[in-house]
Amino acid sequence: MNSHKLEYTRQEMMAIATGRELRDGELAIFGVGLSMLAGYFAQAHHAPNIRAMTEGGVYGAFPVGGLPWGIECNRISANATSFTNGVDALGFLVASGRCDVGIIGAAQVDMYGNVNTTGIWDGEIGDHYRTPKTRLTGAGGANDIACGAGRVLIMVAHEPKRFAEKVTYISSPGYLDGGNTRERYGFVGGGPSAIITTLGILRPNPETKEFQLDAYYPFSNIEEIKSNTGWELKVSPSVHVVPEPTEDELKALRKVDETGALRKQ
Amino acid sequence: MPQPKLISLATAVDRFTQNGVQYASGAALPIGSDAIVFGRELLRQGRNQLHAIFHCNSQQLNLLAGAGAVDKAECGFSGLEVFGFANGLRRAVETGVTQLEDYSNLAMAIRLLGGAMNWPFVPATVNIGSDIQYRSAFSPDEYPATSKIPMITDPFSGRQLGAFQSLRPEVAAIHVSMADPLGNAIMLGTEWSRFELSRAAKKVILVADEIVHTDCMRQFPNLVRIPDIVVDAVVYWPFAAWPQSSPGLYDVDENHMRSMNKALATDETTQQYLKDYVFSYQSHRDYLDMIGNKTREKITQTETSFLMDPYRKWILSADEIAKLVLEGER
Repeated sequence: MNSHKLEYTRQEMMAIATGRELRDGELAIFGVGLSMLAGYFAQAHHAPNIRAMTEGGVYGAFPVGGLPWGIECNRISANATSFTNGVDALGFLVASGRCDVGIIGAAQVDMYGNVNTTGIWDGEIGDHYRTPKTRLTGAGGANDIACGAGRVLIMVAHEPKRFAEKVTYISSPGYLDGGNTRERYGFVGGGPSAIITTLGILRPNPETKEFQLDAYYPFSNIEEIKSNTGWELKVSPSVHVVPEPTEDELKALRKVDETGALRKQ
Repeated sequence: MPQPKLISLATAVDRFTQNGVQYASGAALPIGSDAIVFGRELLRQGRNQLHAIFHCNSQQLNLLAGAGAVDKAECGFSGLEVFGFANGLRRAVETGVTQLEDYSNLAMAIRLLGGAMNWPFVPATVNIGSDIQYRSAFSPDEYPATSKIPMITDPFSGRQLGAFQSLRPEVAAIHVSMADPLGNAIMLGTEWSRFELSRAAKKVILVADEIVHTDCMRQFPNLVRIPDIVVDAVVYWPFAAWPQSSPGLYDVDENHMRSMNKALATDETTQQYLKDYVFSYQSHRDYLDMIGNKTREKITQTETSFLMDPYRKWILSADEIAKLVLEGER
């Protein structure tokens, strides 16, 4: 990135691009790690009145001392105005349909925005459920957010192994088989509005719900993104370059990311 | 009149658990409040074939599963948040030692809510349409599974919903910041599902970092989310959640979170961990020495310590508590 004026990492670009999707005043729920940094960056930068919560029911808080170790940890509990519980945050405020937007991560995501965080199998699972070759973290609250939040932002490192045509196991539903299949289940929330990666931004086609390339970063390009995607990635006719992080944006992000979790390459 | 319920950790495990017990942990997600020391004591007393009900994985389930003591587990999130995958649980699942039935975090919470209400099931529109519904580790041949989260029809609107089976764990060890000797408890930080669990479990043991006088509860009755009438025993054990955090009292011990999880990655290093950090102490004093002065000093310098300020004047001394434990065990 030497050709650019500002020095920033791909992870920081991804966090800033995600944060830009959040609007002031929204009721928002953030998962652990990168999604929390992206969310609190938005609050520190352009969305001061965002109503942020974590799924444990921590309200009114802003992280201190760097990336929180978890969504319940002391770094997000030192200035909260309310502590409640899981039924309250994930149930009363998300499953009920009140939550505007959620940010989740993914080990693997497919062309319809379905997310796998449960395991990696060698091939199809088959009719008999067998244990994964590599067990991952499970769905956690991401399934509840994917089912209930008004819209969902998926943050994921852009690598071929993470972008599958079809995930082996759906931990958190996107648009399932595409088209109107999601509607058949009566979910409260609307589904993923964007997959924001370390290389660009994918958005669903309004009809087919297939994710296509909407934008790339100043340091990435369409070919690079296509070759890192495990399906024949379509490119939106309005594909464009995402504006670089501004100085103010980087300042705000690094205030939240005090320990530099996103600056490690 | 309610009676004091303070007993020792060893007595609590001996009295309330047996091999094969359906055991629930009352925790605040994978790096927060959890009665991890209760899990250590289960291993010290050789408990095995456990059916673990963990709303979320923590280092406790990671340790119990890594040590081979868990046959079945039901869980929402099964990682360690920023500390990565839970190596002990992961190894137990990958080698088939532990059958792990996956749910989401809300699903586990409402299943406990259903247990607390004594409802047979709770309806919701989460988990449906995903492999959490279609795949069952407990009924692996059923695909798509129809008995794990069966679909039901809302009799009012005709809408389709998922039915979540309620949970009534046989015994729960619930970590709390402070309890009085009678079993009234205040939790600082998120409750996660400890409120529901305290009513869903058939037996409830509180594991408290501090014991306070009952006058403290009378000063803040709105904050007492677990009242003595649902509690069977109280155990006093400072740093009970170590290496995880207890808001107001101590932070995560980052070094031990990592070294413990690293150790749980193989059977050989797990055996060494058990020797060094599970079977190694004879008393609470030994346990504190095991954590180390320097570490305790560091993790108690928490930005959250002001949360404890309103309660400090009611904290009972170790001597007073020891006397009560003697009475409680009589």
